[in-house]
Amino acid sequence: MRKRTLHRGLTAFWWLTLTFLYLPLAVVVLYSFNSANSSANFVSFSLRWYHRLLGNEAILSAFGNSLVLAISSSLIALVVGCVFGYGMYRHRHRKLGWLIVLIYLPIVLPDIVFGISEMAFFVQIHEWTGLLQPGLGTMIIAHVTFQIPFVALIVYSRFVGLDPTLFEAAKDLYATPVKRVVHFMLPTIKPALISAFFLSFTLSVDDFVISFFTAGPESATLPIYIWGAIKKGVSPEINAIAALMIAAVALAAILSLAFSRRRPT
Amino acid sequence: MSYSGVMPSARSRAMVRETRHLLFTVTPGAFWIFIFLVLPSAYLMGVAFMTNGPYGLPQMPLSLDSFERLAGFGFLGWSPGNLYTLLRSLWQTLVSTALVVVVAYPIAYYITTCREKWRPLLLLAVVVPSWTNQVIRTFGWMNLLAPGTPLSGLAESLGLVAPNMGLYPSNFAVTLGLVYNFLPFMVLPLYGAFEKLDTAQVEAAQDLYASPMRAFWHAVFPQTLPGLLAGIVLVAIPAFGMYVIPELLGGGKGMMLGNLVANQFAGASNWPLGAAGAILMLLATFLGLYVMRRLGKRLGGGEEVVI
Repeated sequence: MRKRTLHRGLTAFWWLTLTFLYLPLAVVVLYSFNSANSSANFVSFSLRWYHRLLGNEAILSAFGNSLVLAISSSLIALVVGCVFGYGMYRHRHRKLGWLIVLIYLPIVLPDIVFGISEMAFFVQIHEWTGLLQPGLGTMIIAHVTFQIPFVALIVYSRFVGLDPTLFEAAKDLYATPVKRVVHFMLPTIKPALISAFFLSFTLSVDDFVISFFTAGPESATLPIYIWGAIKKGVSPEINAIAALMIAAVALAAILSLAFSRRRPT
Repeated sequence: MSYSGVMPSARSRAMVRETRHLLFTVTPGAFWIFIFLVLPSAYLMGVAFMTNGPYGLPQMPLSLDSFERLAGFGFLGWSPGNLYTLLRSLWQTLVSTALVVVVAYPIAYYITTCREKWRPLLLLAVVVPSWTNQVIRTFGWMNLLAPGTPLSGLAESLGLVAPNMGLYPSNFAVTLGLVYNFLPFMVLPLYGAFEKLDTAQVEAAQDLYASPMRAFWHAVFPQTLPGLLAGIVLVAIPAFGMYVIPELLGGGKGMMLGNLVANQFAGASNWPLGAAGAILMLLATFLGLYVMRRLGKRLGGGEEVVI
């Protein structure tokens, strides 16, 4: 009897928490279809804010910047981080303490310290040498810096999960190093590489603070554009662009669910 | 390496090859993090000990001015503004972390009571909101808490806020935003702990006629402690350095350390002062990590907390 009341209470609490989690997102989506220029009351359904988006060049270019930034930084981080993760695995019996500190640093450093120290450093270097002009380039560098650890750790744990005799077998069959990489290593860690890429991509799209401080005047990403629009005074157009980004996340969630269902774990 | 005279043994040759392999694989990543994060952090720390120049840029000579400014000493004598900001950051971190624990604990437990095939879906449901950008999530709360919205109306009729003020900007809104933002970070490690829970201990406690409270306290709670500590690290450290949420939901009176630091690099322009604030944040981060590690080792029965 008692157990059942407890379970009912928990179920109620679960739905309450879920409402709490989705309410702010639902409100953004709802008001993106509002015909009135108001965030206090919903008048009637309309697509006018979405129409406005299409003509807004700043938003389109911010969208392009976000994509270029996420894809190129994830690709660089994938290569560098994967090699790093393999090195960590291969030499895991050595004392690699300093390496562990280095790899955890980008993860534990508060975003704001991360962003500001890079911004200050880039500005100073730019003053001295003319390199590192604030823009997409500096943003890509910053994003790769926080993506590398995640890629390396994912690849590392995939290697640790493998049977070490596999490596011996590949060697015993006189596979050359290049062949070992192409025919054995890359195929076996493919799932890890795919999830590492998607995690990097998500981290990049999700980031605001670090992008904000390393961005240049013409490299605003979508979150930076939205931030600016909010600061200038809320316009319903933000609801529309934010709703589209929420839809992209919902799509990603459905895909990841379908993906995990397909592979029995 | 010199090959003069003696041939190196096969063993030492293998060692050299291994070391070269280590360097080739690890160097690019290590170098990247070193150049683009370690050096900048070191530079920032250096800036904290310099003097503020005419355009907010750091200048020689070295001084402790910025730390004095951070403690509230300015041209006009001492003012408590920065101290309030610091205390507010600590307070917000404590309150929001505690609230996150209170909400996440039953949620994590609830998920483990559900059928196994539903659990990934339920976890996903908790995590998905945090995949959307922080700015958008916070913007959603601005929409919800603004004056004239149903929630604000409710708070007004209950007499919690002055008429037509709305629930934001306020410290309450910041706490709410922090709890909202960090809830998944606590649910995930706690869920991991609950999933591994050894129910035999709970049954033993029940067989010995322990009250539910006592059974929970002695048989369940210690087992979830490593997950709880990991969650606290994941929530409290980023909460203390939070920038976006207090900036959007807090207004002038809701500022936290992150805003104080960021403002020195944007509007107010005093790099050394901002850098001094960043050092404070770093110290708090490493202190928090250290304490949690020690606690985890002592209380977790040898099982180390992740991180």
